[in-house]
Amino acid sequence: MNKQIVLIRAVILIVMLGAWEIVGRTANPALYVPPSAAIPALGRLLTLHSYPDLLEHLLLTLREILIAYAMAIAAGLGAGFALGVNRLVGRAYGPILAALYAVPAVVWYPSLMLFFGLDAASKIAFGFLLGFFPITLAVLAGIRQVNPQLLVVARAFGADGVTAFRKVTLPAMLFTLVGGLRTGLALAVIGVIVGEVLGSKSGMGSLINHAYGLFRTPDYIALVVVTLVLIVGSDAVAALLERRAQRWTE
Amino acid sequence: MNETVRVRVVQLLSVAALLIAWEAVARAGWVDPLFVPAPSAVARALGRIGAAALAGLGETLLKAAIAYVLAVVIGVGGGILLGSVRPLRQAVNPFVIALYGMPKILVLPWIMLFLGFGATPAVVYATIHGVFPILVLVTGAVRDVDATLVTVARAFGARRWQLYWKVVLPAIVPTVLAGMRLGVVFCLLGVLVVEMFAGLRGMGYVLSSLANGFQAPELFAATALVSAASIVIVLSLDALNDRLSQWRGDLR
Repeated sequence: MNKQIVLIRAVILIVMLGAWEIVGRTANPALYVPPSAAIPALGRLLTLHSYPDLLEHLLLTLREILIAYAMAIAAGLGAGFALGVNRLVGRAYGPILAALYAVPAVVWYPSLMLFFGLDAASKIAFGFLLGFFPITLAVLAGIRQVNPQLLVVARAFGADGVTAFRKVTLPAMLFTLVGGLRTGLALAVIGVIVGEVLGSKSGMGSLINHAYGLFRTPDYIALVVVTLVLIVGSDAVAALLERRAQRWTE
Repeated sequence: MNETVRVRVVQLLSVAALLIAWEAVARAGWVDPLFVPAPSAVARALGRIGAAALAGLGETLLKAAIAYVLAVVIGVGGGILLGSVRPLRQAVNPFVIALYGMPKILVLPWIMLFLGFGATPAVVYATIHGVFPILVLVTGAVRDVDATLVTVARAFGARRWQLYWKVVLPAIVPTVLAGMRLGVVFCLLGVLVVEMFAGLRGMGYVLSSLANGFQAPELFAATALVSAASIVIVLSLDALNDRLSQWRGDLR
């Protein structure tokens, strides 16, 4: 049964790649790149033949992501706990945050570009903005999950504020919080890459744009593959940390 | 004063305080008006660009609406299909999840190469953006429809269409609505991204050309306009959602 499913999935994948190969060989090479041409292009990219400065761009994108994410964690946790400690404050600002979250975030990007220019700062700002919201909202949701009676009991048994937070609040909200942190990372990554594609002079997004602009479609495919590896890799690390944190709560 | 009123008062006062402080800072000249214009300047700019911005907004909303209808139809239809046919779901699901998780921006240049400039790439890209959350949610909901209900309906001789119409569809309504709520923001986002990337019309194009022209007051005004429009759309979907769940008699 299980083997059968894996087999069917493999067949689907092979059929799709095969169809892509057949269509790609007969159609306009600027549009369709068959896998047999994409793999050599990936080789040329990885051996630094098509873009000798690939590593610098990759590292810049990585650095933008890390800075944006670090800022989003700091600001998101800060804002979340600041809004969460007081019921009235939370009830007043929570809906405002939720309403802003409903705005397609990309509308802020032109303002950020105007403000921070074409360089890394505007990408960091956009990645930060995207990552900030889910983290803040997760903290707010997590605080609501804490059973207030447990806190009362902890205080009655003489726990001070810090101990009560560490022993009661944090374990109770950790599950939600870690989920928010993972979403935040995914969105920070997307923010940086969207920012780079929409306008930049360096970074993976700018290379993708460059290859696309010159109809170097095989190189474009190869760059997309490398960027995808970066994204999937970052999410895999986040998933690992998420499981670690969940095990700690249990 | 009851709490709801107090919450509203705090909200209004905070927004007012923010606007007044921003105006004061801008007037005092602590920030460069080229980058951070005062709210009053933004309001005046809104008057100047109002007609053009509204036309752009209308065009963006139209494209988003077309993409949204496509995304809902494909997402709900595909979700019902994948949810009810187990072998198909097991075979296809990993691909759906992978495509759902993949940042769509990476395929945008390829879509542009294919479809050129104009409304089509925006609609296609926005549909791709909007369809996956709906598809994934609906697939899960159909899969998890209470098997007892299906068995009972079958035992009472329900035909296939009756089974879907009377049992499956009512059971998945809340999930479809949740997916539609997510999908609308994704569709708007998709249209705006394409218009910013390579549009010649629409709100995304208006925003990026204002940014390129360093017209900060106009840019802020246009940003506020499109933000307000999307907040109104999402909040009215939420209200509709509440209305429908009351109608279904959900306990909340």
